[in-house]
Amino acid sequence: MGRGYTVEESVEKYLTSLSAAAGSCKTGLLIGQCSAQKDFVVLAVKTPHRESEGASDSRRVLGPLDDIDADWVAEHARQVSRMLPGGVNVLGLFLITPPELSKEAQNKLKGLIFAVDKCISKSRLWDLSEDDVTDRVTLHICSKTRKAICKTYDVKDPKCSAKPADWKYLSCISSSWPVLTCSVKVDLQIPVTESSSEKCMKHGLGRWAKQIEAGLCLINGRPASDDSELLSGSKKSTKMSQQALQVQILVTEEDPVQRCSAVVQASSGSVHVRGTVHCRAYIHTNKPRTRHAAQAIKRDVVNTVSNRVEMLLEDLQMNEGGPASEQQDLPRRVFAPLPGSGLTVCDYMFPDETAADVAERLKEMLDWESAEEDIDTSVESPACRSASVLEADEGRDDGAAQDVPIESMTEPVKQQKTSQYYAGVAVAAAVALLATATSLLYLNE
Amino acid sequence: MVLTENGSLIFRLRGVLEFSCQLDSSNETQGQSAICKSFQALRSRVSSESLVFTLCNSSVLLWPNKGLQSTAEHLTEGTPCRDIQQYREAEDGGSKKSKRKDKRDAGPSVVNLKLLWEVTESGESRALSLCRVAKQQHSARMPLCVDCVFSASGQDSLGSVCSGLVGALCGQLSDMEEVVLKYRKGSSLLLPQPFHFQLPESSGLVTVIYPAGVPDSQLLTVREELHGKYGLPSDRPYFRRANAFHFPDEAYKDGYLRNPHTRLTAPNVEEAKVSVVRGVYSYHHYMQDRVDDNGWGCAYRSLQTICSWFQQQGYTDRAVPTHTEIQQALVDVGDKEPRFVGSRQWIGSIEVQAVLNQLLGVTSKILFVSRGSELASKGRELANHFETVGTPIMIGGGVLAHTILGVAWSESSGDIRFLILDPHYTGGEDLQIITEKGWCGWKGPEFWDQNAYYNLCLPQTPKTI
Repeated sequence: MGRGYTVEESVEKYLTSLSAAAGSCKTGLLIGQCSAQKDFVVLAVKTPHRESEGASDSRRVLGPLDDIDADWVAEHARQVSRMLPGGVNVLGLFLITPPELSKEAQNKLKGLIFAVDKCISKSRLWDLSEDDVTDRVTLHICSKTRKAICKTYDVKDPKCSAKPADWKYLSCISSSWPVLTCSVKVDLQIPVTESSSEKCMKHGLGRWAKQIEAGLCLINGRPASDDSELLSGSKKSTKMSQQALQVQILVTEEDPVQRCSAVVQASSGSVHVRGTVHCRAYIHTNKPRTRHAAQAIKRDVVNTVSNRVEMLLEDLQMNEGGPASEQQDLPRRVFAPLPGSGLTVCDYMFPDETAADVAERLKEMLDWESAEEDIDTSVESPACRSASVLEADEGRDDGAAQDVPIESMTEPVKQQKTSQYYAGVAVAAAVALLATATSLLYLNE
Repeated sequence: MVLTENGSLIFRLRGVLEFSCQLDSSNETQGQSAICKSFQALRSRVSSESLVFTLCNSSVLLWPNKGLQSTAEHLTEGTPCRDIQQYREAEDGGSKKSKRKDKRDAGPSVVNLKLLWEVTESGESRALSLCRVAKQQHSARMPLCVDCVFSASGQDSLGSVCSGLVGALCGQLSDMEEVVLKYRKGSSLLLPQPFHFQLPESSGLVTVIYPAGVPDSQLLTVREELHGKYGLPSDRPYFRRANAFHFPDEAYKDGYLRNPHTRLTAPNVEEAKVSVVRGVYSYHHYMQDRVDDNGWGCAYRSLQTICSWFQQQGYTDRAVPTHTEIQQALVDVGDKEPRFVGSRQWIGSIEVQAVLNQLLGVTSKILFVSRGSELASKGRELANHFETVGTPIMIGGGVLAHTILGVAWSESSGDIRFLILDPHYTGGEDLQIITEKGWCGWKGPEFWDQNAYYNLCLPQTPKTI
């Protein structure tokens, strides 16, 4: 008895149209939500075509399957998972091959599944709990016969074999999934050292993430810690309207280690992350428990902050260190509705971008055309930077030595942010450069 | 659970606030102002709307700075504060024994609250930004364990109690700031810890902040100031850490019973004045601590009870000595041969006196009676001891040793009863059995062997704070 996946009909249409298009093998992501009983797939997205930057090895013609670059697929999965609200995750992959490659397809899928999972969990600040489903779904479709084979792999166990799973289509699965929202105040001060600023950042964010994870969650004013059902008193109406649930999170700042004195560390500076983030999570309607809903929204809180910090640091590194001012605005979160479902996906808009840029990215990453008007940019307020704000912020360190703009760096070229994503793979592989770049920024002697 | 009517309540708020600041290692005054700023930031956080109190063992949440918004429908600003007790989920137990105990408890009930922060907010939001400051500095971080109390009478409004607690919290943060600054050495900061003390002739509690890791012996000047401030005599300790108020709802972690005599009813002696030991002692008796001293250890156990008294009244930091340590002390003073250690030999009042002197620096008076019948006439002397000194008395004679905790003596009739704590008890720490079976109880003069001689060791208290 394997897992059972209930899939949106729109996904079937998408996969069919992909299979029909001529070409070699195609990979893509399957996105949805897992629960103990049932699993739901709400979206399928093909892996974007990679513009060969001369990086692919075309000397050996090994075959179309080998052409599939696992790093590329994984990187796409990582960036797509940043665009998903809480509760919605990359559940697996699909692979469309011509009939002659069907045999090797399973192996390829297994390798891809593990690569994707590794990539996505790399920068995760929270730990998986016992409740979390570690099975990932693979769907192999033969381009000629349109036959689909669905199997799952347990990513906890690299030696596992594929287990069969059910795959069935249904309409309007997620149209009435309740949405949980909240706005969270963030005020973190993280000391960093020159040599390991990235590690310090991750450690500092990790401490904050643990506080959020351990926090008490109230959903519409009720505590969400026990095993009670989220949607009580729901009648058996299939056309329920989508409920919006307001979430509150309360934390304590306990330190498990008992000490007699303060923990003091020498640092070469500090990073201060401040502001408010809007968080959102969706939960399925199949008797969901309050604690799963609480877990989904808390993870979204942690993800949205850590993703944005990551994106800013990636952006700075891309633009060769970027402008050396002290205050950077982190990108703001915008939402767009996923057609045919009750869900929204999100994206992050840098201060110099517009809704058009977001729409372009949505097309690139999620393979669908969205109208600019549909993109909701009102959820988070835009940055308004003025000199007085800067001074108020820096009130802590009077007369402190400031970051001196490093004259040797050229003014960064305003590249199209979309090109960032193509080089995403390079970023993933060259994390070491980040440390160098930020340490240069702290050069202040 | 017994609800107090308009009785007094102690609201106790505990929680952890993280303190962090950046210290410039080369600049002293910068460090001071950085610490002050961080505390100021904590105080404003505490006065903000994100402060939340939760009632321990319940799901009740209160927002004290938001017009006392709460998750419990019937709790509002004007509700009498005693009503909050109804929301406490019954703790497991509630057996007959504890109910009986509740009735006898004259003290105030404690309502425990915990401090939380709400990180979610509605209303105006600020864009997320990242600021970097590059500066060689030391980052200091420590968790401040706050512990505030607020006394109220049952009918005081919940709103006033909550604002009282918020005020106490701000006050405590200021006191902690003082202590942190006072004991700072460069970028080394000591953790400030709150202690509550109950002073005589006062129902409220005084909270003092002491720096962690600094022993009581180095805090004498602080205590002298406090004694002066509260008009307390300088001959006995009130503000040592051991003197801290013991909240009635907290169990003692070491498992020994405290003051079992308070469970007893007063003896029926006409026109008798009852004089008993002051403060707190632990009941030490046969077979405890996995030591089988049945038949020989009674004086050792009485001595342990006395040592526990000195430790809990703050006269010493030394833990209650084991049988071996007691024997070693006697060898060290030359009173016994080295092979005494590890033996099962009895000791008497003189040895008790010697050990108290050797280990605790405590002097004792010895009282000798040639016949047990004479003890009945020692009423005045014993009463005087309990009135002025108040320490437990070890009495040894014949083949037995006991502890005398008090006397009930009538000056007119000479009728006398002795409050006896018997170290010969071999059972478990069962208060009901101990009081019902007389292991701690009032005895008449016939309790003593009328023909044997007795030595009493009356420990004296050092005149110190």
